[in-house]
Parts: sequence; structure tokens; C-alpha cells
Amino acid sequence: MGEGCFRTYTPKFSPSLTLSSPNSMHNAQTEHGFTFNRRRFLSSMSLGIGGVALGSLLMPDLFTGGEGTLDGLAPGIPHFAPKAKRVIYLFQNGAPSQQELFDYKPKLRDLQGEEIPPSVRGDQRLTGMTANQASFPLVGSFVDFQQYGQSRAWVSSLMPYTAKIVDDLCFVKSMYTEAINHDPALTFLQTGSQQGNRPSMGSWLSYGLGNENKNLPTFTVLLSRGVGNGQGVYSKLWSSGFLDSVHQGVQFSKGEDPVLYLSDPEGMNRSDRREMLDNLSELNDLSYQEFGDPEIAAKVKQYEMAYRMQTAVPEVMDLSKESDDIVKLYGPDCLVPGTYAANCLLARKLSENGVRFVQLYHQGWDQHGDLPYEITQQAKDVDQASAALVTDLKQRGMLDETLVIWGGEFGRTSYTQGKLTADNYGRDHHPRCFTIWMAGGGIKPGMVYGETDELGYNIAHNPVHVHDFQATVLHQLGLNHEKLIFKHLGRRYRLTDVSGKVVRDIIS
Amino acid sequence: MNERITMRYIAENLLLGLTITIAFLLVFESNLVLPVWLQSFGRLHPMLLHFPLVLLIVAVILEFFRFSPANAANDFYQNFSRNFLLSGALLAAVTVVMGLFLAQEEGYAGDTLFWHKWTGAGIFFLSSALYFVRNANWYRAPVARAGGSLLLLVLVLGGHFGASLTHGNDYVFAPFKVDEATVPVPFEKALVFNDVILPIFNQKCVGCHNADKQKGGLLLTDAESVMKGGKNGELFVAGQPEISLLLQRIHLPMEEKKHMPPSGKTQLSPEEIRLLALWVQRHQSFKQKLADLPVGDSLRVLAAARFQPANADDIFDFEPPSEDVVTELNTDYRTVSFLARQSPALEVNIYNKSEYAPRLLEELRAVRMQIVDLNLSKMPVSDQDLSIVATFENLRNLNLNFTEISARGLHSLAALPYLRSLNLSGTKLNFDDLHKQLGTFKMLKSVSVWDTELTGEQIARLKKDHPNLNVIGGFVDDGNSPLKLNPPQEGNASTVFDKEIALRLKHPIRGATIRYTTDGSEPDSLTSPVFNGKMTLTEPATIKAKAFKKGWLGSETATFDFFKSTYDPDSLRLLYPLNRVHLAEGAETFFNKKLGTIGANNPAWANFWAGVRDNDLGLVATFKAPVTISSVGLHYMIEEDTGIFPPEWVEIWGGASEKEAKLLAKVKPRQPQKGEFESLQSLAGTFKPQPIGYLKIIAKPVEKISEQNTQKGRKALLLVDEMFIN
Repeated sequence: MGEGCFRTYTPKFSPSLTLSSPNSMHNAQTEHGFTFNRRRFLSSMSLGIGGVALGSLLMPDLFTGGEGTLDGLAPGIPHFAPKAKRVIYLFQNGAPSQQELFDYKPKLRDLQGEEIPPSVRGDQRLTGMTANQASFPLVGSFVDFQQYGQSRAWVSSLMPYTAKIVDDLCFVKSMYTEAINHDPALTFLQTGSQQGNRPSMGSWLSYGLGNENKNLPTFTVLLSRGVGNGQGVYSKLWSSGFLDSVHQGVQFSKGEDPVLYLSDPEGMNRSDRREMLDNLSELNDLSYQEFGDPEIAAKVKQYEMAYRMQTAVPEVMDLSKESDDIVKLYGPDCLVPGTYAANCLLARKLSENGVRFVQLYHQGWDQHGDLPYEITQQAKDVDQASAALVTDLKQRGMLDETLVIWGGEFGRTSYTQGKLTADNYGRDHHPRCFTIWMAGGGIKPGMVYGETDELGYNIAHNPVHVHDFQATVLHQLGLNHEKLIFKHLGRRYRLTDVSGKVVRDIIS
Repeated sequence: MNERITMRYIAENLLLGLTITIAFLLVFESNLVLPVWLQSFGRLHPMLLHFPLVLLIVAVILEFFRFSPANAANDFYQNFSRNFLLSGALLAAVTVVMGLFLAQEEGYAGDTLFWHKWTGAGIFFLSSALYFVRNANWYRAPVARAGGSLLLLVLVLGGHFGASLTHGNDYVFAPFKVDEATVPVPFEKALVFNDVILPIFNQKCVGCHNADKQKGGLLLTDAESVMKGGKNGELFVAGQPEISLLLQRIHLPMEEKKHMPPSGKTQLSPEEIRLLALWVQRHQSFKQKLADLPVGDSLRVLAAARFQPANADDIFDFEPPSEDVVTELNTDYRTVSFLARQSPALEVNIYNKSEYAPRLLEELRAVRMQIVDLNLSKMPVSDQDLSIVATFENLRNLNLNFTEISARGLHSLAALPYLRSLNLSGTKLNFDDLHKQLGTFKMLKSVSVWDTELTGEQIARLKKDHPNLNVIGGFVDDGNSPLKLNPPQEGNASTVFDKEIALRLKHPIRGATIRYTTDGSEPDSLTSPVFNGKMTLTEPATIKAKAFKKGWLGSETATFDFFKSTYDPDSLRLLYPLNRVHLAEGAETFFNKKLGTIGANNPAWANFWAGVRDNDLGLVATFKAPVTISSVGLHYMIEEDTGIFPPEWVEIWGGASEKEAKLLAKVKPRQPQKGEFESLQSLAGTFKPQPIGYLKIIAKPVEKISEQNTQKGRKALLLVDEMFIN
């Protein structure tokens, strides 16, 4: 090869391209062949690290894992402009039977008493309560259905008040879950995991959005129970899990002391309390400076909030100033503390006062037997007040910014549990489909989404998994469920775990 | 080896560093949070991209001919071509970074962006790879040309996708396409068929049912052919969507061959199906104007949504506020927060009536351009304060519910150019003023006027005069469907008393009258005595009470059983164990004045019930000083179907002391029938009054439930919550 050819590899005129010693052409060739030597490699590595560092300047969350700030009470900011600012979740604990309320299946009446076809039942995992049942006769609903409103949604005669507001509601008839028993299913819906120990939906919202009113907790819980077969509701459902404890749900109970330990002990007046808190906070500041534990700062904030809650809570809990129209709207029970109606009214008041997430639980929907009697009572408890809440939010111009959710943890079977008699039957747990409704908060009103098969056993169209539902709720609040994360024990956690898709079809 | 630091050395290292940065940015793109000042940098992307584009094309051409002997020998050519490639790659790097920043902004998403991003990054990676390997031994003319061609191809693709992003997807071939009604029809002029139904067909059906394909002999391109139907007959039965072929096919299960659109093709949305069904139901008129349908008509409502811009989200074109100012404005009673990340808009909430002062609004002037949401609900805001609010130019939503403003005060707000929703519920609105004011609000979409002086007719008139405004009236009781009152409540902590007890009947509804009876009869609204708060019981009684109020239906009867237990024993001792799950408070249970309710198996309620099944219930009660006693009673539960039964018998033993104790009474209560409702009952053993210091009560649970009962043959559970000594 001639000189010219050689030069094509290492042009002579490259004085410093690399590492070539200008005196040794041969040497240069080999080095160019391999491009790097150790020194070059190390200096390039530093460039690489510099490049990463440059990029990471623009990603504040990447190496901290979560989005949490040291100050757990600092208001979070939504990822994008939210449709809803607040949520009221009317949890119907025990799993209301969709066949008796919203999912109209006339075919079940035609096939009353006939065995459910194995092709429909498939290899579904059954609960211990019916797994040993010899036969699975289908049972039609004892109540009649009618279509209402412009959306022509089917509603049973057990829910006359809800029937009047169907044009404000979006029914999702194709919800499904993975759990077959109450506690795991409830925990799954609320925390995204069946096992628990994770933050509840309300805690995630508190973490993601911060509080709107610094005089009240961001996440509150209200309990009530009906006459039907009840299932437990435990405080783990409103725990903040691994999130800062300021995001935990605060239970408001009936009676004179709605928030436990909030009122001052006898003989202590407000100025004494103020002085005590000031001194305490000085001491806490000292130990914060010494140890830097963020829990100390959180504690100081909580003391301060409790102090402000002492005036805010009695005002919210006072139902005596509600007008007669409001009492008639919610029904007379709304003035009886501890009832579902009273809790709905309270939920509106809390929401109006900027509480981000109000979680109601109404127990008693677990109709394994004696379904016709029990579900009638249960429906009576909740129908008027649930509908009233939607109407009330609407007439205050608040429905657009408040997402109301009504539903249980799973559905009930189309076949009877236990003996099928002329006027009595029961239904077992059914994870494959159930109905919930949502209203306001940027969800399309007057809509029925999803469909179950003729026997109301499997989903025919548009299934919505629990994680999809959670992703949709977060989306309405301006949060990307894939970005609302918290790093804990070496992995990043989300409410929707590793799945979930926003149901865009129901978003207006 | 010593290296000289030259421009090119720096440039090469920069290129290497940028390669890593870009790779990193791509991997962690979802974590990117862009400060505002970098947004403008991103927006330079469309300008800058032309430079690397040209440089790289030239560099590729130079690379093509680099190995020809003449050029290979030409130092200038070699130097020039290399520097060209280097500058091209560097500029490509900067362009890619800008592009990644630009993509963070709202409005960029979808497949085109995806492909543009990766081809763009491809251009950069390929060009910098070419640069670094172009001096390798194996890098000869064929490799150089292949690499160069690949780079050219990616350049063209990247450029094309980028152009599609800015100019639209079919930009290139648009001139060849037949112009299909690109001008949007305004809602007022839209025809139901032409502008709602036909577009659905065009989007989802015409792919197969067009003049070229005509599957099933069906054309869906115009009114005439739609009417004609296909080879399976007509598409419609007027007014009956259920039996119309069109909808039948749509509703068939996906697996069916005849389901339309066929599986694999884009399906109709639920909304589209509903529109088609409604249209068929209305006899599929072809001439019907959408705007002529009555307001609130389902078809109109659903179709109207299709005429609104898909993305009605606000675009805020004002400057963001300083974060320090926002932080400073946040107090315990006023929250000022950003609407969303990277949004310049603010929402403000003010809480706690007692802390409110106009100063709280005055201070907000610092961010007056940025406030879009303001919530003043329940604050004592006056008309005067509204003049401050009127300076918040970009305000969209204003909540004035239950404030002290009047309709007159609203006039200052009319100047707000973007005000969209106004909440005025619970304020002192005057119809004439409001009626006048509303016309001056240009952008207002919704106003709530519930719980004001406005009458139903006045609200109807507002709606009529402002058809584009959503006037929210809300619930007002018309008195036509009275509700049933809930039953009265009893306010005593316990209905077990020793000497006397004041009856404390009450009702949650203001002004409800309570009528009651003491003899077990049903109270009525006319003759039964009205409870006036003064009634004292000295003997056990059953009180039945009902509530009445004008405008309401009378309540159900509430029954309250009062029990008297004069003597409280000084010591208590259980003779036999209680059931493990029905321990309640042990021996104390029977004299703690806590009555249980039905539903003993529920943990919350079980605590008041002490129970036995496998042995007798035996209790010894003693008094330090003997007392005169003539009866001992037990309160128990019956739940026939679950096997909770009364005792088989109860024996009362007693005397002045243990030694003198003898059987005083033995009672055998009635046993329940099959199917009997659950109830709470009591029994009492009575005897001649005598001094008692020692008392022994033995209650025997039913050992074998009768053959007639549900739980036949089993041992019954005995549950007792209270005993009465008189």
C-alpha cells in the first residue's frame, strides 16, 4: 500500500485528533484502530458522568424516588390541570347486588331455577361459602326495573331517588376485581393491593395534592351501618402506609367528640393551649436542628393543625343551621348523627370546606341470604341521601369540581347461594363484574359504560379493572397514576401498582 | 502521550458527553420537569433543525467520495469532511435536546411524535457513531456509503415526521386528495344526518361500504344509498332501533362474523351507537336541523358535544407569578396554589369566616393576573370587596356561595373577560338586578342561584332569556311529595333506673311534635298526649311514641322499654363459666345498666350480652345489709332461627344469709315457635317480700331444642344482658 492509502486511516493533518503521537505514524494507526486507550477511556467516562449529571438537573425526582418534600404538609401541585378538586367516595361495604339495583337482566327471570351453564361459569374460583354447593340455580331479581332520564339508564324500583338523577350519573357496569372476599377486595380497591400496608387512595391524594384548607385534614372518614349483614371496616383502610403520617385519614365519629382527643381538657383555655404549643414548638425546633428528623417537623405541623381544627371542626359538624329544604332533600335521618344520610350531609360540608377526600363506608350489603328483605332496607338507607348529595353539590355549583363515587368492593353471583325458595334467596361474592356509578368531577354525565352478558355473569364489553378505575380517579384530579410514586424499601410504589389505564371514554 | 487541547478536541469530547446526556434524557424522559426558562430553548427546535439537516447531508455526500484516490490524497478534503460531520453531529445533538424539551409542552403526543423522536435521536446517534468509527480499519468505501445512505434515509424520515407534527399528518399528499368538507359546520347550521350521522359512517364504515368495495352490496356514502340498504335488505325500521338491521349488526357479539364493524377494525364508540339509535328512533330524518331539536333533547345533547372543540382546556398566555410571592401569600386561612405543574395559573381558597378581612383579597393583587379560580364561599364578602375581585383579569371560576353580596355588586365583575362560572347560591339576589346584570357577562357559562329569593318562575325566566347560560336552580320542596318523619329518640343513657327516671323523648327535626302512650297502645296524632318534656316514670313501663309535623307524614312508632331495678348488689360472683365469646363484662354485665340489642353475633353489639350454652348461668349476689326484695327479673334475647332461646327455667334462691337461702321462685318462660321473629324479652320471679342478704340465680339454657324448631336437637344459646332486683 502506498502512502496515500495509509493516510486515509490517519490523515497527517490531524494534529490532535486523538492520542496519536505525532512522530509515530505506525503507533497512531493502531491507536486509531482501537480508538481508546485507558487515559482516554477514563477522561471520557468523566464526560459521560458529566452528561448524566447535566440531564439529571432537569429531573428533580429521579434520584430522590418520590415527589415528597421534607415538609409533608406543603401543598402538592397536580401534574396537569385537574377536572376535579375533591372526591367523595360513598363506599357500599359488603358488595351490593348489581342484579337488584342497576344491572337489569330479564333473562335471569326467564331461567329462574335453571342451572347456570358451565360455559358461563367457567373455572372461576368460588368462595368457601358456595364452593361445595351441589347446584347453582340462576335467580332473577325480585324487583322490577325501569328506564329513566334521557340516558335511559335502567334502575330498579329499590332506588327511586337515584332514578331521578341518572342524567347526572355515569354507570360503569363492567367493573371487575381480583379478590373474592371482602377484606382483600376492599383493601385492593382502596390501596391497590390485596394485602394492605399500602397507602389508601385518600392518602395518595393528600400526598399528591396537599391540603386545600389548612384548618381541616385532607382525608376524612365517616362510618355508618345498615341492618343488613355487615362486614368489618378497619382503620388500616385509611392508613397512610409508608407515606408520611400527615396523609392518614382522620375518622370523624358521631357523638360529642367527633375527632378524638381534639378538644381541650377541662380547665384549659385557648390561650393556655397556644402558649403550650409555642413552647413545645421551640423545644421541637431544637431537637429538629439536632437530629433533622422530618417526623419532628411533621409533628409540629400536626399540633398546629389540631389547634386550628378546634375551631373548624365544630363549625363543620354543626348540622343545626341546615335549612328545611336540605333536610327534606337528604331525608330526616340526615339530622341523626351516625346515619348514612347524616354522613352524606357531612361529606358535602367537609368537601365544601376544602377536604380533598371524604371516604364514607356504609356497612351491611353482604346479602348471602335473605337478600330481598335486607337489600330493600339497605337501599332505603342510602338511596335518597346519595342522590341528595349529587343534587346538593350541583345546586351549589360544586358538582363540576367534586367527583362522587358510589359502589362496593365486588358484585354478586347470578346464581343463588343456599336454597332458592319462592320469595327468598341469596347471592355469593362475584369478582367478575359489578356496577358502580360516578358523578361530577369531569366524568361524562348521563352515561352507561360497559356491559355484562345476558346472565350478568361475565363482562361483554369494555371491562374496567380496579386499577383502571383508580387511574381514572387520579387522572380526574390532575395526577398521572404512573408518576404519582413513592420510593420505599427499594422500589417505587404507585396506587395502581404496575398496571391501570385511564378509561378515557367516560371522561368529558 | 500528551494531548493538545484544541477546538476539535473540545468538540469531540462535547459530542461524547452529549451522547450520554441524550441517552439519559431518552431513558428517563418521563421524569423530566422543565423550568419555564428552558421552554423557550425548546421552542428553538424548529429553527435550529435545518442546520444539522444541511450539514449532515453535505457530510454524507463528502463521505461518499472520501475514499476515491484523488480525495483521499487531498488533505483539505479529509479535514473538511471530518469537521463537517463533527459540526453536523454536534448541532444534531443540540437539536435533539431542544426537541425533547419541546415535546414536554402540552399538545404534543401520539404516534407521530413517537416516530419523530426516535428517528431524530437516530440521526444524532448514527451521525456521531459514524464520526467515531470513520477512522477504523474496517471503515472503507462500502461501509461509508452504506452508513451514509442509512443516515440519509433516517434524515428524510425524521424530517417527514417532524413536518407531519407541525403541518398535519397528510400534509404531503393533501393537494392530491379530494377536499372533504374541511370547514367545520357551526352547531346552528348543522343537520343531524349530514353533520352527525354521515361523519360516523365516513369514519367507521365507508372503508368497506364505498363505491369501490360495496361489501354486502351496501353503500354508506350518502342519504340515498343509506336509505336503499344492501343485499340483506333495508337498514332501518323507522322508529324502531331494536329491530333495525343497522343496529342489530352493531350489537352482535364481537365473535360473530356479522358483527359490524368487523373485528380488527376500529369499533364504534358507545356514544356513536347511541347517536345512531336515537337517529333511527326519530325516523332517521335527513333534513332535521340539530338546532331545531328541543333544548335538552338526548340527540341534541349528545350531538352538541361533537361540535365543541375536543380540547376545551384553557390556554393561559400570561406570565407565571414569582414562586416566592405565592409562598408568601399562603397563610393558615388562605391557600394559593398552582393549578398544575408548569402552569402559570393560580387557584385561591379562603376559609374560616372569623378570620376573613378584605385585606385577604387586597393582598392578592400581587398575583391578580394569575388567579383563575377563587373560592370565597361562606366568607362575609361584601359588594365593595368585589371591586378588588374585578381586577383579577383572568378569573374563570368564582365561588360566592353564601356570601353577603347582592346582585347589584355583580356589575363590577361584568368586565372580567374570561369569567365562566359564578356560584351565587345562598346570597341576597334580587331578580331585577340579576336579570339586568347577567346580560352583561360575555363568557359566562353557568350560574348557580339556589337558595336565594328567586322564585321558580323567575329562575325559569332567567333560563329563557339566557338560553346559552346554565342557570342552576336546585332543589326546593314543593310540598307535593311529603316524606315520612323518622321515629322519636330517647335521650337517657340507659332505660334501666332505680327509683325514678325523667322521660327524655326528642326528635332531630325542629318543630316536630311527639305524642306518646304508656299503656302499650299505638299513639295517634289527635288524642294521645303531646310530650312536653315533663314526665317522670316511677314504675317499669313501655312507652310508645310517634312524631308529627306539618308537611311531613307521621313517623313509625318507637317503643322504649323502661326497667326498674331498685337494688344494686354489693358483690357479684359467677358460679359457672360464661361462653368464651359471650363474656361481656362477666358478672358485672347484669347490673351495668347497659341493655343489648338484637344481633348478638355482631362484635360491636355482643359486648352487652353474657351467654351460656354448655352449663347453667349461675350468679350469686350479696348485700352487706339485707334489703327487702320481692322480685328478680332477667332480660334476654330470642332469635329462633339461630338457636338463641329463653332459659328452660330460672330458679331464684335467697335468704338473709347464705345458710338461710331457700328456693324462692321458679319460672318457666314460653319457648318460641318456628319462624318467630327475633325479640328481646324479660321474665320475673316474684315472691313474698322478705329481707335478702344472699341471692342465687340459676338459669338453665335449653338442652335440646324442640323438634318443631329450626335448629332442632341442638343445645340452645342463652343470652342475658341485665337483671332487675326489686
